[in-house]
Amino acid sequence: MIEASFMSYISLSILLFSLGIVGLISRKNIFIIYMSLELMLNAINLMLVTLSKYFADIDGQIIAMMVMAIAASEAAVFLSLIVAMFRLKKSANIDDYNTLKQKGTL
Amino acid sequence: MSSNFLAWIVLIPLISSAFLGLLYLYSIKFKKVANSVFTFFAILAPISSFIIGLIFFISLANGATDYMYEPYTWLGVNGYIISMGFLGDKLSIFMVLFVTFIGSMIHIYASEYMKDDEGYGKFFSYFNLFMASMLLLVLANSPIIMFIGWEGVGLCSYLLIGFYFEEPLNVIAGNKAFIVNRVGDFGFIVGLVTMFFYMGKLGFDYYALQDYVSLVPTPVLTIIGISLFIGAMGKSAQIPLYVWLPDAMAGPTPVSALIHAATMVTAGVYMVARFHFLYDLIPNVGLFIAYIGAFSALFAAIIAMRQTDIKKILAYSTISQLGYMFIAVGLGAYSTGLFHVFTHAFFKALLFMSAGAIIIALHHEQNIFKMGGLRKRLPLIYTVMLIATLSISGMPPFAGFFSKDEILLKAYIHHEYLIYAIGLLTASLTAYYMFRLFFITFEGKNYTNKKIEPLGWSIKAPLVILAFGAGFAGFIGLPEVTGATNLIDDWLKVWSGSSLHVEHSQEIIFMSISVIAGLMGIGVAYVKFFKYDFNQEVKYSGIIYNKFYIDELYDAVFVKGLQKLSVFIAVVVDDGIIDKTVMSLSNGFINLGRRVGRMQSANTRAYAFFMLVGISSFSLYLILKLG
Amino acid sequence: MDIGLLSFIIFLPLVVSFILLILPVDMKVTRNIAFATTVVVFLLSLSIFFQFRLTDYMQFREFHPWITSYGIYYSLGVDGFSMIILMLITTLIPLGYLFLWKTKKAKGYWASMLLIQTGVTGALLSLDLVLFYFFWESMLLPVFMIIGIYGTGNRIFSTLKITIYTIMGSLFMLVSILYLGVAFYNEFGVWSFQLSDLVQITILSNLQRTLLFFGFMIAFAIKIPIFPFHTWLMQTYSNSPTGGVFILSAIMAKLGIYGIVRFVLPLFPHQYVEFAPYFVGLGVFGLIYFGIAALMQQNIKRMFAYSSASHLAFITAGIFSLNAYGMTGAAFLIVAHAMATGGLFLLVGNLEYYLGIRTISGLGGIAKKAPLLTVAFALMLLCIVGLPGTNGFVSELLIILGLFQYNHYVGVISALTVLVAASFMFWLFQRAILVKTDNDISELKDLDKKEIFGIFGLGAVIIAMGIYPHWFLYKIEPTIQHYLLDILKVGVAS
Repeated sequence: MIEASFMSYISLSILLFSLGIVGLISRKNIFIIYMSLELMLNAINLMLVTLSKYFADIDGQIIAMMVMAIAASEAAVFLSLIVAMFRLKKSANIDDYNTLKQKGTL
Repeated sequence: MSSNFLAWIVLIPLISSAFLGLLYLYSIKFKKVANSVFTFFAILAPISSFIIGLIFFISLANGATDYMYEPYTWLGVNGYIISMGFLGDKLSIFMVLFVTFIGSMIHIYASEYMKDDEGYGKFFSYFNLFMASMLLLVLANSPIIMFIGWEGVGLCSYLLIGFYFEEPLNVIAGNKAFIVNRVGDFGFIVGLVTMFFYMGKLGFDYYALQDYVSLVPTPVLTIIGISLFIGAMGKSAQIPLYVWLPDAMAGPTPVSALIHAATMVTAGVYMVARFHFLYDLIPNVGLFIAYIGAFSALFAAIIAMRQTDIKKILAYSTISQLGYMFIAVGLGAYSTGLFHVFTHAFFKALLFMSAGAIIIALHHEQNIFKMGGLRKRLPLIYTVMLIATLSISGMPPFAGFFSKDEILLKAYIHHEYLIYAIGLLTASLTAYYMFRLFFITFEGKNYTNKKIEPLGWSIKAPLVILAFGAGFAGFIGLPEVTGATNLIDDWLKVWSGSSLHVEHSQEIIFMSISVIAGLMGIGVAYVKFFKYDFNQEVKYSGIIYNKFYIDELYDAVFVKGLQKLSVFIAVVVDDGIIDKTVMSLSNGFINLGRRVGRMQSANTRAYAFFMLVGISSFSLYLILKLG
Repeated sequence: MDIGLLSFIIFLPLVVSFILLILPVDMKVTRNIAFATTVVVFLLSLSIFFQFRLTDYMQFREFHPWITSYGIYYSLGVDGFSMIILMLITTLIPLGYLFLWKTKKAKGYWASMLLIQTGVTGALLSLDLVLFYFFWESMLLPVFMIIGIYGTGNRIFSTLKITIYTIMGSLFMLVSILYLGVAFYNEFGVWSFQLSDLVQITILSNLQRTLLFFGFMIAFAIKIPIFPFHTWLMQTYSNSPTGGVFILSAIMAKLGIYGIVRFVLPLFPHQYVEFAPYFVGLGVFGLIYFGIAALMQQNIKRMFAYSSASHLAFITAGIFSLNAYGMTGAAFLIVAHAMATGGLFLLVGNLEYYLGIRTISGLGGIAKKAPLLTVAFALMLLCIVGLPGTNGFVSELLIILGLFQYNHYVGVISALTVLVAASFMFWLFQRAILVKTDNDISELKDLDKKEIFGIFGLGAVIIAMGIYPHWFLYKIEPTIQHYLLDILKVGVAS
């Protein structure tokens, strides 16, 4: 088995985070955007755990646990919001949610 | 007599005015008050003032010193005190006497003249306010208090000219009078303020000013003298500020008689005489005044020759006579000027009151070419008017002869031959246009006989009394050649000026010359107008009839010019430039907001991108800065 | 905590106003109680007038901690200059109420009027700069509501314009106040915003002082208004309801002048003297400029707005004339002009009430129909014109004297004031009031008893002050001398 180096964990984390960002910016479906967000969150979690192990500091892992807990509760809220939004507009396309756009004159 | 009665001379008409005004308002608002009530309180005031004035006069004649009464501090700033003060010296009591006397007469006259007017009470309220202001002007002991009276008479003049305020022309005439007078007041204020700082070191009453005047440099005195005289130009209707007086005839005739002939317009002459200590030191300004007077006299006389309105003719003749007075005071012969003020008050008031009687008798007809042949029908008016006309034309032994002749003599003595010549010419013209008026009104042929309104005793009695004045008032100022004492020079000794004399034989020659000049004018008028045919068409036109288009010129330059400037400022500068700048500033913010608002595109992915860019650049900055 | 007389004067209207707003009372009760309140305030200020001692320092002092950590105190006091303005405000407001009596407005109108009174008296009496700023801004709010809710024409725009314009100016002042506070802290190590403390600051450079001077001056120049910050005035005046324009013209504009004398003069005496020529010039220029602009106005309120601006410019010139005549005259003209212009706006409000909003050419023939109104109108007009016998003359004479002493040429030009107002005022009087026209004015009624009392009360004061000005002036003399000392110190130093 190949010993996974510190750098590869970090690289994986960065890769996941970048994927998340690209997904966030380029995709239109609300679910995909949400999944990209979760991906970024987990990328950070991975980073935290790696650094915690590397520096032998337990704090990072504690925070990672907290993030997971919050992400779980947040997922509940977010998914119910998405359902509510979908009921409102019958669309999962983010571009249809544009009521804050400036229209006309002041 | 205690000096605090000086204040009562002013206060009685003032209280009367306030009382009558309130009574009038009560009368129109609630219950009608009988005219007799107004008449009683109205006439009481000037007569009371006259009596008090007379008592002061007698005690001054018996050698009493000048009376001074300062009831309270009017204004005290910076440790400098100006008192509300009254001064009763020979000059002011002299003025008080003739103002209140003529005033009383005209009050009596007006009580009948105005009897059918619904503004009867208001009229007398204004009239007494005028009396109070005029008396304050005369009795004031400092220039500032004088200015209060000075403006007060101007206000009353405005109110009385526009007495029938529903007619636009009357109010316009009133406005014109007030605003032209204000141009003069501008000069007066400038003079006042300059005087305050340069001459008022010892105090601001006339005595203090007189004591300090010799320490003031001449250029400053010149400025003060000219500025004050600008005020007099306005009030006494001299070139170039004379334009308001002919229009002022829009007021009721008693107003023209009292304010615009006998009293208020002579305030300028009084003012120059009052500041004699100042004008004595600046003979050049005096000469300037004399020339302005001479040209005004001539100019107004020329215009008067071709007018058709009886009151306008008299108005121009007033300007002309005022010019004579300024010739005298300008040459330093203050008592002579005041003598003419005195005689003029009688004969001009009489002329106006007779004209008023004619106007009333003919149901408000003012055009002399619609009169004619009134001699037989108004014999009393004919007699008194003849006396007055002879008086103004300078025929001996009527009052006007003595005063006018003395002015001409003074001009000659001071070697101002041009002024003398203008004066003589004007005298001739005066005789001409006055007798033109007289003949057309009372003689002529083919006139239409109009119905004549009968005149009551309140109109006739004052006319007769004033006729005596116009006839004999001249005897208080007999020339030297008669050997009698010149009472007026004697009374106003301080103001009688230099005592230059001419030979008695020469004096007689001058008298004859002026009489001949007058007779020539009368003669021409007789030939042209005694048998004037009223059937012929009256057609007046030309530059003289149109008063040299001065009114039109002033209107085009000042009135129209100011109106154009006003529109320019309000519309172009204010709204167009300044407000636009302010608004474009605020609009700039609004536009900026609109631009920034475009970033609110409702594209969620774009927001996410902005966020990314923001966070990345911030992180980059931190890395570079810390790393 | 004891409550002093001044606090009572300031906060009584505020408290009454809140109570009235909360209680379910109708408009009439609100109005009557509001009027009674202003009368009480008037009586209180009358007692101040008679207890006032002839000295130059602050009297009736009140001093309580407010925000102590930054040295901000609730500090009140009155000297001769503010006393005369206090008397003016407390006299004018109840008399004005008598005129507004018949206005059929909601009770919020009367509550706002009371709130304005708190704002203006508070600004007038505070001696702590933060407290002053607090009141200065707070008086805008009720004005905003009165014009915005009860105004006419393009009222929302006008009210936004005046509010934003004045707040923008005030922000400069706020920054200057804070800067001064910080400077005081840097020099003395403690926080204070007391006027008497801030004048002791010495560490500021000349440039800093000049900037701060203009920070204050912008706020006051907009409020007065000084040319060229005046364009809000005409619009606001013509769209305000009678009560609003009455307060704005008679009282609030004068507080700008007051602010200059109270704060700018002692805080920046050097700059005051240094820039006096410019402000005298602007003042005399404004006098003539606004006067000419007034001539051809078609709307009476707009014309009076220009007329006010003209007089206020003249007052500004007076306070910058740096001598007792000009200063005293300015103080006197503040009073004279407030009374006359306030009275005129009330009378015009009356015309507007009966006849609707009309241009000058749409009026006429009023003199016959309403003689009392005409007499009152004439009286106020004569005061504006500066006719002797009214207080307008005394003040104009004094200012001309002051300006003449300052500079002879300026004095001569300023004497044009006798012409400027007369030209448009008398013309207006002719066209709008006197001359009979075909316009229908049958709806017009003459003044009723309350209005007669109100307007002729004002008229009586105007004439009394014209005939015996000294009785009104001698109490402010020591204060004016005290202000001049500040200027004199500059003269000695330079």
